[in-house]
Amino acid sequence: MARIKRFSPAQRVFHLLLMLSFLTQATTGLARLYVETNWGRFLASLFGGYNKTLTIHWWVGLFMLVLLGIHVLYVLIRIDWRRFPKSVYGPDSLLPRKEDLGQALQHLGWILGIRQLPRFDRWGYWEKFDYLAVFWGITLLGITGVILYNPVFFSNYMPGWVLNVLLWVHRIEAVLAIVHVSTIHFFIGHLRRHNFPMDLAMFEGSVDLEKARHERPAWVERMEQEGNLHTSLVSRAPFPLRVVYYVYGFAIIICFFYLTVNAIANVGELLG
Amino acid sequence: MNKHVSKQIMFSGYYSLDKACHWRDPLVHKGSVWLGGAFCLAVAILLIAILFPDLAWAQTEVSSKSYRYSERELASRSYETHEVRPRTYTVSVRGGIPQKEAVTLSPIAEKVRRRQYLADSHWGLKFYERLTCTKCHPQQARNLHYIRAKITCRQCHGPEPIAGLKHYYSKMNPRRRHAFVCAKCHEGANRSFASYVNHEPSPAALNTRQSFPLLFYVFWMMAAIAVGTFAAFLPHAFMWGLREFLPDNFLSSLEKPFARGRKQDGPD
Repeated sequence: MARIKRFSPAQRVFHLLLMLSFLTQATTGLARLYVETNWGRFLASLFGGYNKTLTIHWWVGLFMLVLLGIHVLYVLIRIDWRRFPKSVYGPDSLLPRKEDLGQALQHLGWILGIRQLPRFDRWGYWEKFDYLAVFWGITLLGITGVILYNPVFFSNYMPGWVLNVLLWVHRIEAVLAIVHVSTIHFFIGHLRRHNFPMDLAMFEGSVDLEKARHERPAWVERMEQEGNLHTSLVSRAPFPLRVVYYVYGFAIIICFFYLTVNAIANVGELLG
Repeated sequence: MNKHVSKQIMFSGYYSLDKACHWRDPLVHKGSVWLGGAFCLAVAILLIAILFPDLAWAQTEVSSKSYRYSERELASRSYETHEVRPRTYTVSVRGGIPQKEAVTLSPIAEKVRRRQYLADSHWGLKFYERLTCTKCHPQQARNLHYIRAKITCRQCHGPEPIAGLKHYYSKMNPRRRHAFVCAKCHEGANRSFASYVNHEPSPAALNTRQSFPLLFYVFWMMAAIAVGTFAAFLPHAFMWGLREFLPDNFLSSLEKPFARGRKQDGPD
């Protein structure tokens, strides 16, 4: 079964680190947000209590900001500067293109049963949204988090009442990110029929060629026309490694489901 | 000899005491002068502390030539000027609420607002000694300091009598709140930091648009982004998931029976 390379090892490592750090941030953040509830106290106890939770939240948050910085450098290095700016708006780029809007509408039409399935290229519009949302999310959460962790220092440069506002921005953005990943990202990435039970592309770095022909025909055809397809074919990961990928992937999904379901279930206790 | 002295102590007390205690010893005499001086000084300090409590309280802070706070001030640099008892100018707020604030208030609101300027903000309240803070201020208990850090009301607002927030000598007065209250836990707290709204109103409440507009608008903007994201993508993901259970030629297979039906209906 032929497979086509989709992600480089560096991109897979970025995603792996992002998964682990985001899960830590989600757990420690919800532990602090829900610390007035039994569930919140239980979560905090896993990290050594309320104050230790904040310390971990702070250092992992800094790690995520550094990770974002390194990723931006990586992207800048990977840009083909000789063909700039055409290279960043090409079909291999994750920046939005005008074709994406048309494909999104056509895809919606296909979902409703009134249009044909669009011929996606390498990246679908939903994948670009997920990728760019991380930039927005880490930046917003990172800036507000750094300020909230050092309120006395930053109140030299802004009124103290801005801290009230930033705390709510931090909370709402974090809840948005956690729920989005737990529901929309996991469902589209893993749980829909095409990818069920799990899309290992981000772990293995490759996708099945026939599946790619079906879901991303424009990408495969383009590679065939450019003569790159045969150089992009790779073999499947060994079975034991795939088992590890499945176990790891399901563990992450279960953790996020656990957090989201309990967060929703404990809202009443938190507000009451 | 000893018997003789003890007899003298018993029967002619003053002389014998003088002798027995070495009252006229020059070294002892000098020490007692120092002791007496120290006692007088202590009494004087005590009297000053009793008679001038405001002054004594204010002097617990370094208030002149202090660079510690100046370098932390945001913009006003007014800390040194207003820190201690005012010098030559009169305090306009002591007598009550400034006229410009009182004009637009209802009688009850005016009464409440006036209390913010009193030295004892709870002065004259019936059965006050039997009440707890949260009995009359239930909303004020919902703040992170109380809920998370278990900081009680009195730890910030002080013991009785609790001065109004705007009373000139109140330590909760915005002029010195950062130094007398916030800095107890937040080392280096400045005046800007003290403007953090500890008793934050509910950001979703309509009243907050008046009392804390930025919080209100930012909260609803963020909520709209979150709700908008889920409103767009949750149904999208759900319907996408459903659609994948249907074959790709689902639409054309639906059209065929309809087309056949139309054909059959046609000649009639």
